[in-house]
Amino acid sequence: MSTNQNKLTISALALSIIALLLGLYAVIAIQNLSTSISQLQGSLNEIRGDINTLQQQLAKQPTQQQVPPAQKVKLVVIGPWSGDEAKYFQAVIDAYVKTHPNVEIEYRTMRAEDVAATMPIQFAAGVAPGDVIFGWAWFIAKMGKEGHLVDLTNVINEKEYVPGIVDAVKADGKIWGAPFTMWLKPGFWYRKSFFQKNGLSEPKSYSEFVQLLDKIKGIPGIKNPIATGDGVGWPISDIVEHFIIAYGGPQMQLNLISGKTRFTDPSVKKVFSDYLVPLLQKGYFSEPIEWTTVIPKWWAGEYGLYFMGTWITGMVEDPNDIDFFPLPESKGVVGGADYAFVPKYSKNVDAAVDFIKYLATDGQGVHASVPSGKVPTWTKVPISQLWKPMQSVYSKITQRNMAILPDLDDSIGGDWQKTFWDQLKLLWVNPGALDSVLKTLEAGQPKP
Amino acid sequence: MRDHNLKDLIFFLGPPLLILVIFVIYPIVGTIILSFMLGDTLTLENYREVLFETIPLKALIVTNPGTSPPWGALIHNMVWIVIAVPMVVILGMLLAYALRKTFGSSFILGTIFLGMVLPGVVSGLIIRFMFDADIGIFPRIFALFNVPLLSHTWTIYPQTALFALILGSIWLWLGFSVTLYSAGLDSIPSSLIEAALVDGASEREIFTKIIIPQLKPVTTVVILMTIMWVLKLFDIVYVVTGGGPGGASTVLALIMYMYFASSLEYNKAAAVSVILALLTLIPAYWYMKMVLSGEKQ
Repeated sequence: MSTNQNKLTISALALSIIALLLGLYAVIAIQNLSTSISQLQGSLNEIRGDINTLQQQLAKQPTQQQVPPAQKVKLVVIGPWSGDEAKYFQAVIDAYVKTHPNVEIEYRTMRAEDVAATMPIQFAAGVAPGDVIFGWAWFIAKMGKEGHLVDLTNVINEKEYVPGIVDAVKADGKIWGAPFTMWLKPGFWYRKSFFQKNGLSEPKSYSEFVQLLDKIKGIPGIKNPIATGDGVGWPISDIVEHFIIAYGGPQMQLNLISGKTRFTDPSVKKVFSDYLVPLLQKGYFSEPIEWTTVIPKWWAGEYGLYFMGTWITGMVEDPNDIDFFPLPESKGVVGGADYAFVPKYSKNVDAAVDFIKYLATDGQGVHASVPSGKVPTWTKVPISQLWKPMQSVYSKITQRNMAILPDLDDSIGGDWQKTFWDQLKLLWVNPGALDSVLKTLEAGQPKP
Repeated sequence: MRDHNLKDLIFFLGPPLLILVIFVIYPIVGTIILSFMLGDTLTLENYREVLFETIPLKALIVTNPGTSPPWGALIHNMVWIVIAVPMVVILGMLLAYALRKTFGSSFILGTIFLGMVLPGVVSGLIIRFMFDADIGIFPRIFALFNVPLLSHTWTIYPQTALFALILGSIWLWLGFSVTLYSAGLDSIPSSLIEAALVDGASEREIFTKIIIPQLKPVTTVVILMTIMWVLKLFDIVYVVTGGGPGGASTVLALIMYMYFASSLEYNKAAAVSVILALLTLIPAYWYMKMVLSGEKQ
């Protein structure tokens, strides 16, 4: 290499080293600056929160009626529904827009698991992709506690809702989410025509349930008596919780959520080993199949029963041809509401709060009246307003006097929820792994 | 003259170096520092926790591994390299050689190359269907041969989930390998092959004694690039199995994502990313060494 080339190379190397050192300095400096800015932002948010509270107290706004915004406003609403379910939610939006012509609402689909994965980073940056967002209750409570959400304590009147339904979105004594309609996971769905054609009837005990499964297994064309839904994993966890409630009791469900009862407790293992695992080992459950693609297969008679939530009533060809039964000994059913929140970083907080108030009240009546398969959590919606097939579902549950219990993994949430789903998928294809599954679940279970 | 050279240096190197500092050097240095931080303390705790994690969906190494997965993400990545790299090399070379003078080869090559151009999410869905018990080609073939273990949906069983992903990934990366080998074959002087034919060499001898040695530089590139690609794999694992069932198909990149986006444990995510970067540096170093020595020659 010539002398000039050598010098150029040395200069380039020197510049690179200087750049590296500058980079290191920039990292340390910017991190310190970012810590200071976060602290300042935190203080500002607290002050803003106090000002909002004072304003509301001074104005003494009635909690029932919010004055709709006058200027043209565009709201982005993010929810977990797509396909038919999105259509039913659109009916709610359309009803609102009719009475609020200055408001334009754009609906976007995002699953709750994606909301929980992506929003914290965005909130940390002070931005929000939507004005009204649906998410898991544990996630809403967590974000509210961290100061990212609008306080809805003066917007939601707890006494007007199903008892306890608002508790899931409370933190530090404040309400951070608004309850929307409620879903129930009442039991095993079947086609009435299938049962009639094959002379089948709802079982009244566990042994009758097993006999029913045997009969269905013997029907030509049936692959497995019970279809197992798949996806991220919640359809399998719904089945497991149903067994826990039926054969461990409603209190076991609550104790597992609080951590008072551990998954390795002999009483919990008994539910799995005596009731669920034998059915898995005998092949009564199908392999996990994506939960929406299995619906037409079940409808076509490849499977006899399908454990799913009440929203399935809006996803079948003829909702009058379906019925359900819970596990015979069950005294409880998992139910939960969908919850929405308003991020503090929304550009249209007032309009968003007005819409969320509607969702939490009259909007529920609209949603429950279409084939959404949901029931209202707002007690002021009359049963007669419910979509007809859901009226009979709701009556069947209330007649049996079944307690409505929170969803286990939705209540615990976080990383444990993913572990729960993953381990149950393993149990489904490898029932012999029960001990290791229970041990893994117990290890991550919250302590009481 | 000297000042003129220095000014040119600053003018031409300055802007790209500035961009490098902002978008490459700062994030790298920041991530490394983050991986050693716990609160305001410098510590190795993040690395310790990440390496000894026992939750199956996040374990890097499983302490009591069985004969089938889960073995831990680090081992899964190694197994992936051990299986995928030779398959990509051998299949790529054979296909490139066989399709040179085959009628309809452009169509076949196009199908092979499809895996490279499809988005990762779409590829993942196709892989899921490939191994589905009802419609997947692999389960159906094994059902014909009466192999029950392989006639079910591969992606939902811990014994087969990882291998379904590996086989699917071979299809995805084969296009790259075939393309490189095709170019490599075109660069072999025809005089060598003609001379061999004149000397009475068989097709097999020509392939093993001339073609393969001549393709050595290409093979090295394919091996190194495949190793780097396998180490970074995330999208198809996320879409097809999510790392399950029971953590039987986790990979390093997925675990890094779980710490970052799911648990929001940024320090641990940084620790995993540093481990991943160090592993990727090994083939990258050899690749750069090969490129630079090639330039010198």
